[in-house]
Amino acid sequence: MSAYEEAVLEMKNIDSLLSQGYDIAHVYENLSGMFVELKKDEERENVQLLTADARKYLSIKLREQAADN
Amino acid sequence: MADLRINLAGIESPNPFWLASAPPTNTGYQVQRAFEAGWGGAVWKTLGDPILNVSSRFAAVNFNGQRVAGFNNIELITDRPLEVNLQEIYETKKRFPNHTIIASLMVEPRQEKWHEIVKRVEDVGVDGLELNFGCPHGMAERGMGSASGQVPELVEKQTFWVKEVAKTPVIVKLTPNITDITVTAEAAVAGGADAISMINTINSLAGVDLDSWNTVPNVAGKGAHGGYCGPAVKPIALNMVAECARSPHINVPISGIGGISNWRDAAEFMLMGSSCVQICTAAMHHGFGIVEDMIDGLSNYLDEKGLASVMDLVGRSVQRYSSWGDLDLNYKVVAQINNDVCINCNKCHIACEDTSHQCIDLYTESGRPMLKVREDDCVGCNLCSIVCPVDGAITMVEKKGLSPMTWNERQALMGQYASTTILK
Ligand SMILES: Cc1cc2nc3c(=O)[nH]c(=O)nc-3n(C[C@H](O)[C@H](O)[C@H](O)COP(=O)(O)O)c2cc1C
Repeated sequence: MSAYEEAVLEMKNIDSLLSQGYDIAHVYENLSGMFVELKKDEERENVQLLTADARKYLSIKLREQAADN
Repeated sequence: MADLRINLAGIESPNPFWLASAPPTNTGYQVQRAFEAGWGGAVWKTLGDPILNVSSRFAAVNFNGQRVAGFNNIELITDRPLEVNLQEIYETKKRFPNHTIIASLMVEPRQEKWHEIVKRVEDVGVDGLELNFGCPHGMAERGMGSASGQVPELVEKQTFWVKEVAKTPVIVKLTPNITDITVTAEAAVAGGADAISMINTINSLAGVDLDSWNTVPNVAGKGAHGGYCGPAVKPIALNMVAECARSPHINVPISGIGGISNWRDAAEFMLMGSSCVQICTAAMHHGFGIVEDMIDGLSNYLDEKGLASVMDLVGRSVQRYSSWGDLDLNYKVVAQINNDVCINCNKCHIACEDTSHQCIDLYTESGRPMLKVREDDCVGCNLCSIVCPVDGAITMVEKKGLSPMTWNERQALMGQYASTTILK
């Protein structure tokens, strides 16, 4: 799989969770990538993003969410 | 025709092209011939405490057929008596009152030494002083040149001593042999410098002879580090000028030096904040006559750009030079190959496949070999267009990406949502 295809899969996963009503609650980055905690009411979903493009994408989604709140 | 006159901290000059302090400005004979050829100013070969030079002083680095891509020297400051230089400066200034003569000075870091030499050179009518805190060899071992230019406190103190007695503007010439040139530039400003100039030469060893195993150059079988200049150092010098120009703490004009070989280089330095430029290696390589093309080229360029004065160029690109953290992470360019122009040398494919992101595919169409960029995987590194030998075969084109966001903006945002524990 190309780097782009890997990123697309990760971005789609984020989109899917956001469209289900999840919000980004926390983010954390370390040597293994970006760890994102999403929550919807009491439900929690944790996602690990490995690709740089998906980490950029998540940052944009975070800004959109911050602007909405 | 645009006005080429410049003003650097009150020093006026008929054009921005000055000879840097070096062999081309060693004598009155040379400087007068340079002025006749069209140079606007000259920074006299550095005057100061007595020195002795060695023989076999220069070496050049040739690269792929280009002679003198870089130039290396182990020459010191002037070895002529001060009185002789002063007499020639006086005569030259008398003959060319509208041209700029700057006295470059270097003495031991002692107040009385600086006071004495400043008074003596100003008495013969120089337009300004340049303090040479930059020569990397010979003088440094005696506590002068780059040895004092690398210590911000010494830069500040010596500039201050000069300013105590100087009646003409004081330019401080900085050494590039330091991690962050803005630190010594700020020290010069704190000492009262009216302007700064950069760069002097970069510590270097031009090469080792593979037959004799001697250094290049060598003096009776021994070498010592020299100073590097010429076209190879231009990007280093340009960055140092730009870093000083964009620093909010350095509010004095800049004279740019380092690898300037033609009017284009000069214009780039001026766009990045230089009020004038100084040139050494290009004049040593091609003679004083190069200034004619420089004047014509710059003048035509200014006319094309609709600028009435060369001073209108100064600093126009500084705001575009920023910190990495302020660049847009989401800006995207990708390579596009024009197969009509491509000669199928495959250098782009090899470069991308071996050393970049493996996104240039080889294929055949109607029996003809073709190359195509997989744009989604292209990170816009520019490598393919850099290695391509054919103009117009590879173009980097902008693509619409995500909305703009810099690293600094991103990190600020991430901080608001930070979790200190690893989420599982
Ligand atoms: C042979 C030689 C001698 C030099 N001597 C001096 C000097 O006496 N004083 C000084 O300030 N700079 C001296 N320089 C440095 C130049 O003034 C200039 O800063 C440097 O060469 C970079 O410019 P360029 O790339 O146009 O040569 C010398 C350079 C060369 C090549």
